[in-house]
Amino acid sequence: MSKKELLIAALSRKRVSFSKGWYKFSRNPLSVLGLVILLLIIVVAVFAPYIAPFPEHAGAFTNFRKSSLPPSLNHFFGTDTVGRDVFSRVIFGYRFSLILAVVVLGLSIPPGVILGLIGGYYQRTRIEIAIMRITDIFLAVPPLVLALAITVMLSPNLFNQMMAISLMWWPWYCRLVYAITTSLRYEYFVREAELTGASKAHILLREILPNCAAPILTKMTLDAGFVITVGASLSFIGLGVQPPKPGLGTMVADGAKRLPAEWWMAVFPALAIVMVILSFNLVGDGLRDMFAVEEV
Amino acid sequence: MTPLLEIKGLHVRFKTFEGDLRVLNGVDLVIDEGEKVGLVGETGCGKTTTMKSALRVLPIPPARVSGGEILYRGKDILKMRPGEIRSLRKGEMSAIFQDPLAALNPVFTVGHQLNDVIKYSLKAQGQEHRSRKDIIARSITALKETGMPDSERILSNYPIQLSGGMRQRVCISEALSTEAKLVMADEPTTNLDVTIQAQILRQLNELVAKRQVSVLLISHSLGVVRNLTERLYIMYAGNIVEVARTKDLFADPLHPYTKALLSSVPKLTGEGISQGIRGRIPNYLNPPTGCRFHPRCDHAMPICDKERPTLFAVGDSHRVACFLHRR
Amino acid sequence: MGKYIIQRLLQSIVVLFGLSLLIFFIARVMPGDPARVALGSLATKEQVENLRKEMHLDKPFPVQYYFWITSVLRGDLGTSLYTRRPVTTDLKAYIPATLELILFSFLMSLVIGQVMGVLAGYFRNSWFDGLSRLISYVGVATPAFVMAIFLLLVFTYVLNLTPAVGRLSLGAPPPPKITSFIILDSLIAGEFATALQALRHIVLPAASLAVANIAQEGRITRTSIAENLQKDYVMAHVVYGIPTASTIFKYLLRPSLIPTVSVMGLAFAYQLSYAFLVELVFMWPGFSRYAVTVMLNKDLNAIVAVVLVIGLAFSVVNVIVDIVVSFLDPRVRLQRVGG
Repeated sequence: MSKKELLIAALSRKRVSFSKGWYKFSRNPLSVLGLVILLLIIVVAVFAPYIAPFPEHAGAFTNFRKSSLPPSLNHFFGTDTVGRDVFSRVIFGYRFSLILAVVVLGLSIPPGVILGLIGGYYQRTRIEIAIMRITDIFLAVPPLVLALAITVMLSPNLFNQMMAISLMWWPWYCRLVYAITTSLRYEYFVREAELTGASKAHILLREILPNCAAPILTKMTLDAGFVITVGASLSFIGLGVQPPKPGLGTMVADGAKRLPAEWWMAVFPALAIVMVILSFNLVGDGLRDMFAVEEV
Repeated sequence: MTPLLEIKGLHVRFKTFEGDLRVLNGVDLVIDEGEKVGLVGETGCGKTTTMKSALRVLPIPPARVSGGEILYRGKDILKMRPGEIRSLRKGEMSAIFQDPLAALNPVFTVGHQLNDVIKYSLKAQGQEHRSRKDIIARSITALKETGMPDSERILSNYPIQLSGGMRQRVCISEALSTEAKLVMADEPTTNLDVTIQAQILRQLNELVAKRQVSVLLISHSLGVVRNLTERLYIMYAGNIVEVARTKDLFADPLHPYTKALLSSVPKLTGEGISQGIRGRIPNYLNPPTGCRFHPRCDHAMPICDKERPTLFAVGDSHRVACFLHRR
Repeated sequence: MGKYIIQRLLQSIVVLFGLSLLIFFIARVMPGDPARVALGSLATKEQVENLRKEMHLDKPFPVQYYFWITSVLRGDLGTSLYTRRPVTTDLKAYIPATLELILFSFLMSLVIGQVMGVLAGYFRNSWFDGLSRLISYVGVATPAFVMAIFLLLVFTYVLNLTPAVGRLSLGAPPPPKITSFIILDSLIAGEFATALQALRHIVLPAASLAVANIAQEGRITRTSIAENLQKDYVMAHVVYGIPTASTIFKYLLRPSLIPTVSVMGLAFAYQLSYAFLVELVFMWPGFSRYAVTVMLNKDLNAIVAVVLVIGLAFSVVNVIVDIVVSFLDPRVRLQRVGG
């Protein structure tokens, strides 16, 4: 076959596997719905200053003449105790949630994956034992406790919260990748690479890592929702985004004090939290279906 | 006399992303009472699917019976209600599966499972109140009959603690404890060591003779079926291509595929190396038209591409699905 | 089986020891002077110095650890720098409340979650499965405090069915302290009205905690059962005439419960720390809320004690889960001990 034919064949194979993947993903209407909602949320968060009707309310703004107003056409989600538009604050609040998810996962996945690869590859060495014991200890403490403890020791704000949560998240990826690496360690393709003199970096990154890609991707998406839950929980007790910044958890905490009369102050931020977590979970489920191997 | 089992023109399809896999393409099979019949074909030709269809344990969906009948003592199994099928299983049809480790529940002892099979089979025969000791005694007897050493101790073991041969003996005793009249054995020795294979087959043969049950022995190995069956069906890609009495088939194979199969078996005398059969088994998504074997057949004629051959009679109980032998 | 249990117990002790070291290390290494924090900024230098000597803060690290671990094993966890009471008193006051809450929540998630999971798994892809799937999605996506607020709104404020705060209504006399579990104690003492009241108070917070578990465990059970339904041995059971009911509830349930049990144990242990989300909303005087308060106030002794308790709970739960799993799945037992 000529070079051109080979290229076309390769490209069309790629196209087929993508469309097959999309087919599997789209089999479940819920996953597609989740994807749509997620994209919507992302767009809204990125373009917050242009979409929010009252962007200046996402900060230290007060207008006591318009405080504690119920939902109306002007203010979709009503206003809070100092007169800020809840709808705009929720939109800006999404920014914090998404940043949290991105940063935490971005910080915790690479070290976790690399440590897992190394630990799984150098089996029965001191390196493996060291890595896995440390992982075990981190995993022995419930994550919230660790995050709490650390956030408290330092001053409470979004940045520290992100650091603390990242610190307790990496062990899960380490363990996941470790399990896959150990099972593949003695497979033929790995041994071949070793025999032909491939560098360890090549073996780990180009041979073993691609096999972990699917579980990592799926877990990552589901974790995003979980990270946001942890973040919201921490904010709820005052350890995350500090007022007057519009963190979703913080808003729920403030709103909870005004129940049941001024219910909108707590309910809408709460619903917003559920929406974003739900969409991540639905997409994650769809990803899992997409990567699943069909058995006839 | 009505045959015990009669499969007529069975068509089965499996639904997948790329389309429908047309696995069974009109299978015809007959087993009379007390007969021992073999079904031979290579892996993937549809033997297990045929068996599962008869037992009504096909996973529907993605599978689907798109045509044909399966008659047991004259009644169509495919149209039976769940209650009728259940009584069929409790005293008429039984099966021995290919992988004994997969066929036994890993978290229960072997004895537990065997006892339950016996308990429910006794119940179905109307003998409900048997004591536990009685049932255990029957289990031990059933195991002993299969040639299991130390049957009593084995009952309290888990499947994972037993060797492959012992597990298969357990499965055989389970299958026979249902007092079935028809036992379908799907590659009962394929997953076992060669040394054990002969043993198990011999024991199966003895048991079958003692209880006078009918047997459908499914295998990809001609050697296995040669001594144990009276009649043989050869299957290829979802169709029966030849059927004859076992000794007739070995003496005078007619279908090109059968001939190729026989010549593929290496002879102990070491004459020549087998050529194999050129080509590959068909893609069930887009199977060949007409006779499914024609792309690989050295004697293909133009008609083979257009029409599917039915089983033509060529001798005493000998039929071939090949236009070469049409009268 | 016994050998396996002993193995696991020894392992947990080692892990606990390591954990205590780690916690102690972190606590001592963190910035800030505990003595100064305890006394406040108005304390004189002398007072701070005296307290430091009292707390052994001037001695080398291993010595500090020795003092600390010996007193812990004697039952003395130090004094809370915040409440000024011995930490053990605080713990004794708050742990039962949370324990009662978690146990009740566990029971709820066990019953509702498992039944839903089994039915959804057996009737997979039916409308029931779809509905349970929907419930699961929402349940998993809703953090406990959000669920608490919603339940509070609907059941207390709108429907007026349940009270809002606390374990018992204001002014109601608590039952005699036998087990410190209000519901049990009132039943034992024959005070049925009190028991009913306590029940009404515990329902919402327990439900808030249980929903996420029901969602998750229900799905796992469902998937497990759906998967195992395809296994050959199920086909074999059916072919050999074992009736459907027996097949599901005996032969299918046991192997399917295995993944669920691990998750259930983990969830149970986690709830000890997550319960604060609900305890705060419902003003439940529990251990979790205490843990958060203590951390926010940088109460060193109490923080250390709290983390130890949680670590202990974890280890205990892990051992129990392992034992239950090895009962359900003999392969685990046999492979470990060399059967």
